[in-house]
Amino acid sequence: MTDQPDFLAQFSNALATRAEAGKSAVVAIRLAHERHITGMPWHSGVVVASEQSLPHRDEFELVAPGGAVVTAKIAGRDPSTNIAILRPAEPIAAPSIVAGEARTGAIALAIGADGTGGASARLGLVNLAGPEWHSSRGGLVDRRIVLDVRLAGREEGGPVFDATGGYLGMSTFGPRGQVIVIPTATIERVVPQLLKTGHIARGWLGVALQPVAVPDALGETADQSSGLMVMSVVEGGPAAQAGILAGDIILSVDGTSAHRLRKIARHFGADSIGRKADLRLIRSGAVIAVQATIAERHAA
Amino acid sequence: MSNLATRPALMERLRVAVHATDSPRRAALGKVVAEAGHFVVGMDDTADVVLVDGDSPPRETRPVVSLGGADDDLPGVLSADADASQIDAAIRAVAAGLVVRLPGAREGGFGAMRETLGHALLTPRELEVLAALAEGMTNKAIARRLDISLHTVKFHVESLFRKLGARTRTEAVAKASERRRHETITL
Repeated sequence: MTDQPDFLAQFSNALATRAEAGKSAVVAIRLAHERHITGMPWHSGVVVASEQSLPHRDEFELVAPGGAVVTAKIAGRDPSTNIAILRPAEPIAAPSIVAGEARTGAIALAIGADGTGGASARLGLVNLAGPEWHSSRGGLVDRRIVLDVRLAGREEGGPVFDATGGYLGMSTFGPRGQVIVIPTATIERVVPQLLKTGHIARGWLGVALQPVAVPDALGETADQSSGLMVMSVVEGGPAAQAGILAGDIILSVDGTSAHRLRKIARHFGADSIGRKADLRLIRSGAVIAVQATIAERHAA
Repeated sequence: MSNLATRPALMERLRVAVHATDSPRRAALGKVVAEAGHFVVGMDDTADVVLVDGDSPPRETRPVVSLGGADDDLPGVLSADADASQIDAAIRAVAAGLVVRLPGAREGGFGAMRETLGHALLTPRELEVLAALAEGMTNKAIARRLDISLHTVKFHVESLFRKLGARTRTEAVAKASERRRHETITL
């Protein structure tokens, strides 16, 4: 007989204590049909949420820790890193936020909002902690963190903690229902920019492109089998000013072949604004070179 | 069609409202619904099921079948490129009070950018043929519009079917529209 509970009971108690404390780290963001997703009270009086699951509205109702209902306005959204911020009409205190370190195999505790001011909890492992990656929307995410955790839709957007209580980041769904984490470092980087302008500065040419196969007859001249066809050109945009036309097929940008999508996306980061881009493209069966000056993208 | 006649339970005609912001997509989905033997009704009419391209409109209270929507709590959730038989099956199941999900999990999600362009890309000519298909043009009319032979049009249409994994012209248009939505890159 000992007075000390056994290890398993200690472990369980420690987790329950953490989940209890997690209540102050989540808000419910109300959606239609009595559904909600989770948001995280953050520094600067904002709430961070998963952009992909937040409907395109200007205003939402939040259920703050404890159950008070507060309205909040969208203050910015960045689909490229899946981060949106909301500003509540009345401030919601953020707990102290310390960044955690993601390590493959370490324990991860994911907290969600229960919709009435409380929290729900999920325990698992960091399935994979990898290097930085680019999202399909062109954003840079500081680390690839995959969790071995199931998550309900209403829990998406909540904080994920390491064993010391450090914030690994915000939970969200990756492809095929995979649960991934948008790292704290990414949130810390993106939120101040969103607060300033409501969006993330990116380079812009003002074209919509669709991948196409280069017609066989042009394969030899083009020296590649695929390109990006210009489907539309924004009036007055950099591409329009450079004389780019709908129907042109872009083969390369500054020497990077157009089928290297990630490399192309990297070309249009915030630092690209004002730079000249050399485009190689097919027009009316001939390969031509065009130079365009990259401008700043405004709308999301 | 003939094998449906032997399964009377599947012959019920339902009233289906179709919601899509993209009008060619709405037309293509309406056609899929009509070809499955249902009545296509307006969004404000009485409907047994609402077929929605992407996310459901707010405050929709009727049973919804969503194609590629992010909402996990709807009765019917199919992938954005669901084929005609899946759409029909989902409409009937949801009307009967069942829940329809894809095996595996939810579609979409915040993913990584592909390193390179995929295979089976369409050529500019195939895109022109596709645009004509979307307008409901016949092969003959397409040949006239693009000033190419009927044989060449057939060749392009077959190639489109193969690349898109489609069996009908309607399906080809629907799948291509879906692809365009996913693949369009704005710079």
